[in-house]
Amino acid sequence: MSGMAARLQHNRDRAHGIGTNSKAVKYLNQDYESLRNSCLERGRLFEDDCFGAEVSSLGFKELGPSSYKVRGISWMRPTELVSNPKFIVENATRTDICQGALGDCWLLAAIASLTLNKQVLCRVVPHDQSFEENYAGIFHFEFWQFGEWVDVVVDDRLPTKDGELLFVHSAENTEFWSALLEKAYAKVNGCYEALSGGSTTEGFEDFTGGIAERHELNKADPHLFKIIRKALDRGSLLGCSIDITNAADSEAVTYRKLVKGHAYSVTGAEQVSFRGRMVQLIRIRNPWGQVEWNGAWSDKSSEWRYVSDDDRERLHDRCEDGEFWMEFSEFLHQYSRLEICNLTPDALTGDDFKKWAETEFEETWRRGSTAGGCRNYPNTFWMNPQFVIKLDEVDDDPDDGQEGCTMIVGLMQKNRRRMRKMGEDMETIGFAIYELPEEFSGMKQVHLRRNFFLRNCSAARSETFINLREVCNHFCLPPGEYLIVPSTFEPQKNGDFYVRVFTEKPADFHEIDDPVKCEVEEVHIDEDDISDRFKKLFGQLAGHDVEISAFELQRILNRVMVRRQDIKTSGFSLATCRNMINLLDKDGTGKLGLVEFKILWTKIEKFLDLYKERDGDQSGCMNSSEMRMAVEAAGFSLNNPLHQVIVARYSESDLSIDFDNFVCCLIRLESLFKTFNTLDKDGTGEIKLRFLEWLELSLM
Amino acid sequence: QFLPTDPPPPRRPAVYAEQHESDEEKQFRRVFQQLAGDDMEVSPNELMNILNRIISKHGDLKTDGFSIESCRSMVAVMDSDSTGKLGFHEFKHLWNNVKKWQGIYKSYDTDGSGVIGADELPNAFRAAGFPLNDQLFQMLIRRYSDENGNMDFDNYIGCLVRLDAMCRAFKTLDKDSNGTIQVNIQEWLQLTMYS
Repeated sequence: MSGMAARLQHNRDRAHGIGTNSKAVKYLNQDYESLRNSCLERGRLFEDDCFGAEVSSLGFKELGPSSYKVRGISWMRPTELVSNPKFIVENATRTDICQGALGDCWLLAAIASLTLNKQVLCRVVPHDQSFEENYAGIFHFEFWQFGEWVDVVVDDRLPTKDGELLFVHSAENTEFWSALLEKAYAKVNGCYEALSGGSTTEGFEDFTGGIAERHELNKADPHLFKIIRKALDRGSLLGCSIDITNAADSEAVTYRKLVKGHAYSVTGAEQVSFRGRMVQLIRIRNPWGQVEWNGAWSDKSSEWRYVSDDDRERLHDRCEDGEFWMEFSEFLHQYSRLEICNLTPDALTGDDFKKWAETEFEETWRRGSTAGGCRNYPNTFWMNPQFVIKLDEVDDDPDDGQEGCTMIVGLMQKNRRRMRKMGEDMETIGFAIYELPEEFSGMKQVHLRRNFFLRNCSAARSETFINLREVCNHFCLPPGEYLIVPSTFEPQKNGDFYVRVFTEKPADFHEIDDPVKCEVEEVHIDEDDISDRFKKLFGQLAGHDVEISAFELQRILNRVMVRRQDIKTSGFSLATCRNMINLLDKDGTGKLGLVEFKILWTKIEKFLDLYKERDGDQSGCMNSSEMRMAVEAAGFSLNNPLHQVIVARYSESDLSIDFDNFVCCLIRLESLFKTFNTLDKDGTGEIKLRFLEWLELSLM
Repeated sequence: QFLPTDPPPPRRPAVYAEQHESDEEKQFRRVFQQLAGDDMEVSPNELMNILNRIISKHGDLKTDGFSIESCRSMVAVMDSDSTGKLGFHEFKHLWNNVKKWQGIYKSYDTDGSGVIGADELPNAFRAAGFPLNDQLFQMLIRRYSDENGNMDFDNYIGCLVRLDAMCRAFKTLDKDSNGTIQVNIQEWLQLTMYS
């Protein structure tokens, strides 16, 4: 309801670190501490009115109010289910997660991987909560949602049937952290049923804030083994799986004892010398804690006899613990997909892991201004938001002996407004990467134009344009500066996005855009310069008070413009005429005298020339890219958010801008720049306004 | 001094919100769907048609109809994501205000002229929750009233929508409530160009 101010405040909050893991945003403004304290004071257990113990929190269709599946469900607190409930028994481990009556195995696989990394787990599941000390029926969890960490509270009423938890539960029936975590994640997503069906990478990302890469193993990156080793060094979460061809295949065990349609973790990658040649091995773990591969390099295989004692000692483990080795080439053959979730530096403390450097930006594509579409649309492609990354240092340990800088680029679309039908409303997105020419090196206040993209080929690009939540790719490029241009496939598609770059070495990543400034030439006119003919005309128009009011100006302009066949206009509004008078009225009468009117007239003539000149297709009005260039030719340099505003405020639904809106826009721009510069007397670039001053200025 | 009403409650996830709507809200959503079309968003043109349809049913409100310019401005001050359209929640906020302000308009048009005269305006605005000083009232009259100082219904609504939005904008940006806001040139232009 606060319009643009809401967005500006959001940007300011972000700049102040709100939404980072240490300053999570309170989901639905619910504050864990104060809610718990007020419950303790009143001696009542928390009941969450934002996610009630009711059918609508379960689902809408299969778990909807009229479904037989929800019959007999009752909501119970752990204290009502068992005599001595625990939040966490000893440490959280992967056996704490057993699937319930919901198709959210992807989520469970992600939670299971999470338990392998203590530190990451502690961020999602704050450990200082329990059923003993200060228990008030309230718990909280932190999730990463589209670039922000959110703190989510839930009450501990859980759906049960016949005295048993309906969904996720722990093997230890007195332990409840995993069931409560699932409830909090269901709350963020609207209901339990919304969790049905998804990809592990989504869960990975929402629990870590990391970036997930997906590798299809039938066309694996030639450096994949190296990538895996580096990922393990960096504490990344790695999962792999074998595709199923039909539903009956799910969890089917092959004769080699591999489970199809099941989420495995990758826990190691090593090279050993075997009968005089180097062999690449990969260690995989079945989260069941049993059922292991029985082929080459498995626990009991003979290959281990032919490696050095050292290697055997270091790597070979004959336990039936679900973990086993396999030759890397065999892995590529047996498995279908590998998912790597790279963690942000703040997720890892200590020196155990190498860390990625990470930078991120929020931006928007808007119809008519910054939604330029992909390179197939050269007339608009350049209008997309642009980012530059400077890769200075090469990697320590190059993938193939050739020096380069590794970077992962992830582009994620946010669909806050249309969350309802998540998945169906995804735009097709991707990005292109260009080498930045030296002439633009180090510049931040620049936006590259159409000609640049016509003359230069891209250096790299996202593998595809696809309608997924995120497009993410791994690159290794020579040191240098690169321009990254994220876009939707087709132009004129509105979307909010979030772009992240992970680099092996610290790298400067920033958005580039034109500066905001006004270089409009002042029109200087003396009374002596004015022709007698114009004076006579003015006398007729101004009437007895020898001044022109907004009402008179409106009548005059519309009388003149209606005769022009070559320009389109719907007539000047009174508001536009008032703006013109405000800009030029030096004596504060609210009306224009002779000289002021002559200046205005000169300006309008200039606008008319500009309009005709820039209307390249002679359509009688500006299209959005013509408008952008015309605003510039009129003396204004504006950046993306302002170009977006101009289109949203002044264009018709077909994105055209007619002459009166064109004039209105330019006049308003000029007077707003003037007002700002007048108030910013000492040139600090910022102005301070009290409430009444703000109203006076903003209501003009 | 302006005392803004409490901010609306945090927006619930759409799935949740839809399941918990009252019957009145459900009915309003259906009406909105018809007005806004498939994209569930209201453009300035759609807004103009809606508002003009309403006033045509109220003969006692004097107006020459809502202009497209004034509807563009109303959408602009309420739109937070630069799409040039209003979503369901923004529109509902606007709708409730228009209903409320219409009642005030009628009761403060003391001489029954169908317009709010310069002398009636301060009381009407105070009743709407905007106790401004004389200087601001004078400015609003210059900006929104006709040559005789009378404000007709469409200008009255346009003026209040803008006033309401600008008060909210100030409150949003004055996060520490110290009575001042600080803006740079880009923020200044974003706020004022889009209004």
